Amino acid sequence: MPERIIKYSEAIQEATDQMMGADPRVFIIGLGVSYPKGADGTTAGLKSTYPERVFDVSVSEHGFTGMAVGAAINGLHPIVHHGRVEFSLLAADQIFTQAAKWNYMFGGGHPVPIVFRINVGRQWGNGPQHTQALYALFGNVPGLKVVIPSSPKMAKGLLVSALKDKNPVVMLEPRWLFNIKQNVPVQLFSEPLDKAVIIKEGAEVTVVAYGDGLFSARESLALVGDTVDIELIDIVSINPIDYKTIFQSVKKTGRLLCVDTTNGAFNVGSEVIAQVARNKSIKLKSNPVALSCPNVPCPTSTALTEFFYPTKVDIANALLSTFKKPLINQTLSFEELHLAPTDTIQ
Amino acid sequence: MSTPLLEAYKKMFLIRFTEQALVELYLKHKIMSFVHFYVGQEAVAVGVCNNLRKEDRVLGNHRSHGHYLAKGGDLRAMISELLGKEGGSSKGKGGSMHMIDTSVNFIGSTPILGSVVPLASGAAFEQKYNKRKDITAVFFGDGAFEEGVVYETLNLSALFALPLLFVVENNLYSVNSTLKERRSANHNVEKIVTGFGVTYLKADGNDYEDVFEKARMLTKGIRAGAGPAVLECMTYRHMAHSAPIFDDAAGYRQEDPLERRLERDPIKKVRRSLLESGIPENTLVTLEEKIRTSVAESIQCAVDAPYPKKETLYTNLYA
Repeated sequence: MPERIIKYSEAIQEATDQMMGADPRVFIIGLGVSYPKGADGTTAGLKSTYPERVFDVSVSEHGFTGMAVGAAINGLHPIVHHGRVEFSLLAADQIFTQAAKWNYMFGGGHPVPIVFRINVGRQWGNGPQHTQALYALFGNVPGLKVVIPSSPKMAKGLLVSALKDKNPVVMLEPRWLFNIKQNVPVQLFSEPLDKAVIIKEGAEVTVVAYGDGLFSARESLALVGDTVDIELIDIVSINPIDYKTIFQSVKKTGRLLCVDTTNGAFNVGSEVIAQVARNKSIKLKSNPVALSCPNVPCPTSTALTEFFYPTKVDIANALLSTFKKPLINQTLSFEELHLAPTDTIQ
Repeated sequence: MSTPLLEAYKKMFLIRFTEQALVELYLKHKIMSFVHFYVGQEAVAVGVCNNLRKEDRVLGNHRSHGHYLAKGGDLRAMISELLGKEGGSSKGKGGSMHMIDTSVNFIGSTPILGSVVPLASGAAFEQKYNKRKDITAVFFGDGAFEEGVVYETLNLSALFALPLLFVVENNLYSVNSTLKERRSANHNVEKIVTGFGVTYLKADGNDYEDVFEKARMLTKGIRAGAGPAVLECMTYRHMAHSAPIFDDAAGYRQEDPLERRLERDPIKKVRRSLLESGIPENTLVTLEEKIRTSVAESIQCAVDAPYPKKETLYTNLYA
């Protein structure tokens, strides 16, 4: 296969295009999805290819999300796009109370095949109401499948799987990653919705991360170098969580670091650490470590957001201090701290 | 002999008698579900559903026994569901507020006020998307009509010209709150609806023939591609918001005291019309008895049926 490097946003667009081509039940609905560069490029050009199946729509999140859920109940396979997680909350009733419960509360046999593509903000100057990272909120609701693509390849493969699944799948997409690039197969392929992925094998410490936090964790590998032998796990799904992979890893390494890019309370790392702590067959060699954002809203000024998200240096130093190694003293540039990355990853 | 009005009477009587039988079960603590009784509103469900075909879809709310039965939903499965049994329409996981029988295209009922309205627009969206000839009807109350998502859906369904009939059952109260406590004196449902470009008709919800006729006009237009319509039916909920009790003592029912509700009882009205049209009372008594027997049999079956097994607590989370 020749290399074909595309952006995260382009990978989502490609998966959508290919699945719309393969399955006439698939349509997309959301604010601005029909624009030529719609939804940050993730729906670019689709309106001209599928003029009857791409719906820009009234500014009525509860209404159009519910309409899509109703369409799914009756056999279509909608993709609902919410450009900010905050707007999806206006449709919380339809996502949490209707779609997630439907099959269970009617005793089975009543599938709701729908994909909620929800962007999680983390962007220069976006402030308290455009950057909430409410991962745990979605992970808390039984009946949803919840995935967080961390790379262009995962974005494509997970969206394809979501569109082949019979259940409501929430795909939480960190905007921070939209411009990162990767070699992504051209053809249709799928990634499992319920499997964590070991990004790098290692023997001394398990790092569990997702989305933009995983991106920073990848970068921290280079900073730590050979000093610590890290096993890096992309959790991929937070409902269900693939504890088999995590437990196996922590049993081997005896150490655990969780990286969250959301507030410290009730987050993904807290849940993973709790489950590891309850597992009697795991003997930890040191206390688990959790990195996350402080329990305040994300402010707007970069003078403050500089201290909000865990950086690659924070992650590296958390690892080094676990092993009582000398810490790194590296100042990150404005671009590194505040502008979304455009790197090409492996 | 059979006439359309006689057939309507049978359905209305079935709904009424089923609920009356459920009252007894409720008081014996056999019912394992919150229950909102439909007694008094039967003309609305039957008047609308008698304009629908099997392929047409219906969705309902927390007070949907009548909608379910009017669409042809299975009686035994419904009673089993109310008793929390394995053989219930939702295997005991739904209860009274989650009626479903997709074999007759009763797509589901869901009790969070207003939520079912966009879901119904999705059912109609699918009909339009796949170029079907069928339509969807959704039942909800005057309380739900105050939810923002209803206005969003009026706009969206008009925008997409969906084959959707909104049936607003205005029984004057949201729980115990009167319309005066919830709406300004100048509130005007017709203006709201028509302001969205949606057709509006009002019917006497205690009068089967009026509901049927108005629903006939609206469903005809919807089938012809005229886009969505609202039918507001003014009716009375005979019992309390929830549970089988008459709650006149609570003091909120200034508009519809018990004697008025009973006087305007839609079932009595249809029965009178049938007798006036020359149907012998004997015929009515015989068919009422037949319905009573069939309901009693269904109840006995449901009572004797097994409860769901513990393991099923964990099943059906995903399809």
